[in-house]
Amino acid sequence: MSYDPSRSTKSLTFSPQDNNGDTDQNTNENRKHSVLDEKALRVDDTLFIRDQRVLKISQSYQSILDSIGEDPLRQGLLKTPNRAAEALVFFTKGYEQSIRDVVSDAIFDEDCENMVVVKEIDMYSLCEHHMVPFFGKVSVGYLPNKRVLGLSKIARIVEVFSRRLQVQERLTRQIAEAIAEAIKPRGVAVIVECLHMCMIMRGAQKVNSRTTTSSMLGVFREDPKSREEFLALARITPF
Amino acid sequence: MSYDPSRSTKSLTSSLQDNNGDTDQNTNENRKHSVLDEKALREDDTLFIRDQRVLKISRNYQSILESIGEDPLRQGLLKTPNRAAEALVFFTKGYEQSIRDVVSDAIFDEDCENMVVVKEIDMYSLCEHHMVPFFGKVSVGYLPNKRVLGLSKIARIVEVFSRRLQVQERLTRQIAEAIAEAIKPRGVAVIVECLHMCMIMRGAQKVNSRTTTSAMLGVFREDPKSREEFLSLARITPF
Repeated sequence: MSYDPSRSTKSLTFSPQDNNGDTDQNTNENRKHSVLDEKALRVDDTLFIRDQRVLKISQSYQSILDSIGEDPLRQGLLKTPNRAAEALVFFTKGYEQSIRDVVSDAIFDEDCENMVVVKEIDMYSLCEHHMVPFFGKVSVGYLPNKRVLGLSKIARIVEVFSRRLQVQERLTRQIAEAIAEAIKPRGVAVIVECLHMCMIMRGAQKVNSRTTTSSMLGVFREDPKSREEFLALARITPF
Repeated sequence: MSYDPSRSTKSLTSSLQDNNGDTDQNTNENRKHSVLDEKALREDDTLFIRDQRVLKISRNYQSILESIGEDPLRQGLLKTPNRAAEALVFFTKGYEQSIRDVVSDAIFDEDCENMVVVKEIDMYSLCEHHMVPFFGKVSVGYLPNKRVLGLSKIARIVEVFSRRLQVQERLTRQIAEAIAEAIKPRGVAVIVECLHMCMIMRGAQKVNSRTTTSAMLGVFREDPKSREEFLSLARITPF
């Protein structure tokens, strides 16, 4: 059946906080909640709560420094727990914003019939399995249906979803679904191409390998010609 | 005065474990210990002690997952503390080896008078200030003085020093000094060119900026022509 983002069914046990998109039965039929209205995990944080988080995380890092055999009192490491905690909170700042807030005022009525492509958006994320960075580029395209989205909002959507503990497949899907819900276009296509430090710095240690995932919704899923046009326009050059 | 690695003076208060090369008065005159014989922080680890480290670090990661607002019990994060701890211990495995062990049996007498260059060695390290990866390439050159070093040992020296919490300047110096001490050549030159995730993913957020550091010892410090020859042979191409 063709994709229709306006038709969503909510089950009785529906809750907005759906484990950040990660469920044990994560199939198209079971996924019923709205990506736009999903409650961000840290959206209610006050400055005080945020500082408490940083404090708690820096205590963990202090203990980690001990455990790896280093001397936490040497000059270079003295303020590292705090810096590392601030860095980690920054890397997960995607939990602090809801997509609805990011997108809400930049939807415009426009008579555009042709594909809009925003390509090679730099993206940095943390792998949720090893908590090690993965980074790369995102190319997004959509075929508008009377409404267009502010271009920088597309980049902001990428930011909000990528600044979390992520899995590349889920990240790709979330970006596509957010745009689909926001402006209900005829189709959305997203490709993400990344280097995974967890694969380069450790484990398999394959230095040149890049991982590509894509998400094709609506017309892009059904019509090969549209998909072809998008892939030609949105090609991610090696980085 | 020209550099002479064989002449080292040890003060009465010198200790082999010199805070991983990081001292508050870290000048050429004060630095007296041998890089080759510096005691590795985790050298005496048994398998049991190593497992204890991983366990302790994974408890800290569990706490960190809660503090950033995530749900540590969701499917994707269930084994993350253990994986992240194993990853961190791997990223700091440079603490487990002494340079003397890495290098000891690969020093050969050879009548080579010309420069030996091993260039563009891939290198991955952790910034000691934010505990975020920095990575890039290392090019090493030396002018032998009757003795050469096994080529893969040069790469192994880079590995041992880079798989630690590091500062790029110190890493560069340590690599140069280790080679200088091991085979006492006429001169050693090391250039390191890296991308720093702490600068790309956060903070200044400058995506294309690369940091280059170098260490020139012996003939490379005194003779501009040798230095020039090295720099042209060992040029690190953009990555």
